[in-house]
Amino acid sequence: MSRRPLTPFRNGVAVFAGVSALLLVGCGQKATQPIVVASVSDVSSLDPHLLDVNHPTGSVIWSLFDSLVRRGPDGADLPRLASSWERVDDLTWRFHLRADVKFQDGSPFTADDVKFSFDRMNISPFNSEQQLWQQTTLKQVTIIDPHTVELKTDKPATTMLYWLEEAFVAPKAYYSTHDEAWLNTHPMGSGPYKLVEWVPGDHLTLSANPTYFGGEPPLHDVEFKVVPDLNARLNGLATGDIDLALNLTPDTVTQANTAHSRGSTVLGLRKLHFGIAQHSTQAALRDPRVRRALNYAVDVPTMIRTLLHGATVPLPSVVNPPNNNPALKPYGYHPDLARQLLAQAGYSQGFDLDVDFTPMWGQDKDIAETVAGYLNAVGIRTHLHADEWSDFKNHLANQSFNGIFYAGWAALINPAVELVIFTCNQEDNASGYCDAKYDDLVHAANTNFDPVSRKAQIEGAEAMVWNDAYWIFLWRDPEYAGISNRISYTLRGDDYVEIYTATPRQP
Amino acid sequence: MNAAAISRLSRALLVLLAVSFLTFIIGHESGDPVMLLARGDATAVQKQDLRHSLGLDRPVMAQYGTYLRNALHGDLGESYRQHLPVTRLIALRLPASLGLATTAFVLAMSLALLSGLLCVIYRHSMLDKAVAGLAVLSQVVPGFWLGLILVLIFAVHLGLLPVSGAGDFEHLILPAITLALPTFGRMSRMIRAGILDALNSDYIRTARAKGLPERDVLLHHALKNALLPLITQAGLELGDMVGNAFIIEIVFAWPGIGRMTVESIQQRDFLVAQGCVLIIGTGFVLINLAVDLVYAAIDPRVRARR
Repeated sequence: MSRRPLTPFRNGVAVFAGVSALLLVGCGQKATQPIVVASVSDVSSLDPHLLDVNHPTGSVIWSLFDSLVRRGPDGADLPRLASSWERVDDLTWRFHLRADVKFQDGSPFTADDVKFSFDRMNISPFNSEQQLWQQTTLKQVTIIDPHTVELKTDKPATTMLYWLEEAFVAPKAYYSTHDEAWLNTHPMGSGPYKLVEWVPGDHLTLSANPTYFGGEPPLHDVEFKVVPDLNARLNGLATGDIDLALNLTPDTVTQANTAHSRGSTVLGLRKLHFGIAQHSTQAALRDPRVRRALNYAVDVPTMIRTLLHGATVPLPSVVNPPNNNPALKPYGYHPDLARQLLAQAGYSQGFDLDVDFTPMWGQDKDIAETVAGYLNAVGIRTHLHADEWSDFKNHLANQSFNGIFYAGWAALINPAVELVIFTCNQEDNASGYCDAKYDDLVHAANTNFDPVSRKAQIEGAEAMVWNDAYWIFLWRDPEYAGISNRISYTLRGDDYVEIYTATPRQP
Repeated sequence: MNAAAISRLSRALLVLLAVSFLTFIIGHESGDPVMLLARGDATAVQKQDLRHSLGLDRPVMAQYGTYLRNALHGDLGESYRQHLPVTRLIALRLPASLGLATTAFVLAMSLALLSGLLCVIYRHSMLDKAVAGLAVLSQVVPGFWLGLILVLIFAVHLGLLPVSGAGDFEHLILPAITLALPTFGRMSRMIRAGILDALNSDYIRTARAKGLPERDVLLHHALKNALLPLITQAGLELGDMVGNAFIIEIVFAWPGIGRMTVESIQQRDFLVAQGCVLIIGTGFVLINLAVDLVYAAIDPRVRARR
């Protein structure tokens, strides 16, 4: 075989290179684009009564629909479709509805729509996602006149407004004449945004509702985009393709400081902790001295400084501020005290402890390994288990963990809802804790409208949880995001995105 | 020929049936989708209602029977999570996957062919060594890393191409290059080796002795014979590109079927996972069929054997 050059090949290479160069030069021009919100996952449904997670499904539902009451970022109960409300008696709530609201198809909003929507939330499959009826012991929705409804409950419901904030109102005429498959993709609400299109797995586009009763939102076109990869979200911020990139990490949030964007951190409301399984074969975990020892053994402030770059604070209670019991203080790092307590409980030689985690709450592996390291240092023999999410969730539901498990709880500000996790037979009481005295306190507080005695009951329940060390208490989960220079937006601590509160930023 | 075609088709259907059965059984044994769908604080009764409304409380074989019956009518069920027909979800994602796989495949094959030939012509030259180096690199560099580096250079620093997502042709360039590179590496080496092997054959000596120009010897005699064993490999590569592209799809936020498969398995969204596996399985069966046909078209010996 000779090495004679063959000219057609050379020509081919030249043509290929030329075409590639032309293609590259032709790219890179950006047209005016909508505000892009990049999230890890896609919306699951556009049916307001199948809302399953705060973001992105919740964020989109909050944009398309209205609830009677709006949940402020600080947990405040603000008027939305209801202009005001009062309690007629302990078992009856009365809501006065706005008369100037129209759904996006032009039909007027009335009490009929409220009753229809709430009744719909009480039937399967909606009732497995919507807890309004179950949590408030709601019994009946009564129309008093076209702009007044009454809600009757079995027991006094102090959490009524909280649950109403996630109860969205859909027009009766539209939702009773279309089938579920249609409604799942063709929402009709009264919210600040209208749906333009939803391409599942890729993006969802909204445009401002010009006739919104609260005024047209400042940003006209918004796109919720699925960008699962963290680096892809960061790159999108750097190039100006993404305006709000969620779920950044402590290590990457500074990378969001680019020519087009800046990183933003907010002290989240979710409480990260290790649950301590009470149905464990390890009897040590049922001894409060051992549980307190677990808390003293872990150096939470150092972990916050090193793993989270100081972006959060140790939990002051299982109830978020401002409702937390001010008498309670974080355990602090006292390994000697931990060893003493273990010895007092008869475990001076330590014991075997399973430590479970799952990729759900961020930095799971780092945090589980660090905590295991601290526990090893006081003589506890830890065994780490990385669980797949659905296995982990099965263990949560079945109370079948055998040791401690890394989890997050209640990204909200409402002591009644936050405390209920430890009551006996509560569905998401994953550690299986059960104490009749505690139950009495929490149930009394949740049915007590007197603010003074209620506060005392709540603080009493908080103190029980804290002193009995039902968890290894860690910190509030910080939220990290990148925000482009095109918009101003303040992150919420509960990871809902209220994009209608964002405004264009002056250059 | 007809009998052979029928036998091949029925074998293909059997393969698909087995694939669907295994996916169904494995899916059902691996966890309860209701646990992932319902809220943590939903009651046992509400969870049971949900299980019933999804038909998940029936015996697995009965569920599979219904699934098969509906599948034959073109209904692959509905996503538990997104409540959308599986066929619609697949129809939304498949074009993106096919577009990416086809572009990457054509790119990989044409470059592999070109570089394989050039490496034969200029063997032991710098070019040959450079391609060999690139081929090795393409096998050891993970796709997700390469994708990120390409994005950093061409999208973030140079601003020539979009960072991620699907859309027009420019969105396709970086993911296609990333997906094409490993295939290009393997194929270019195999083409080079195949041609060199063929060049040592008797028929090449005969062709040269006839006085054929070197170009004809190379293109019409050596290349054609060298390509035969590579067609099977090329078919497998194409199949892999559709099914295994999920990492590339995540890095580039590409709405393809690979990502949907992985996500649906993680979420225990069985019917979606099932649909994806069926589609990918069908793709493999079709590719194998196409490989056989191309074989027959290229190699008279294969035709004669029938």
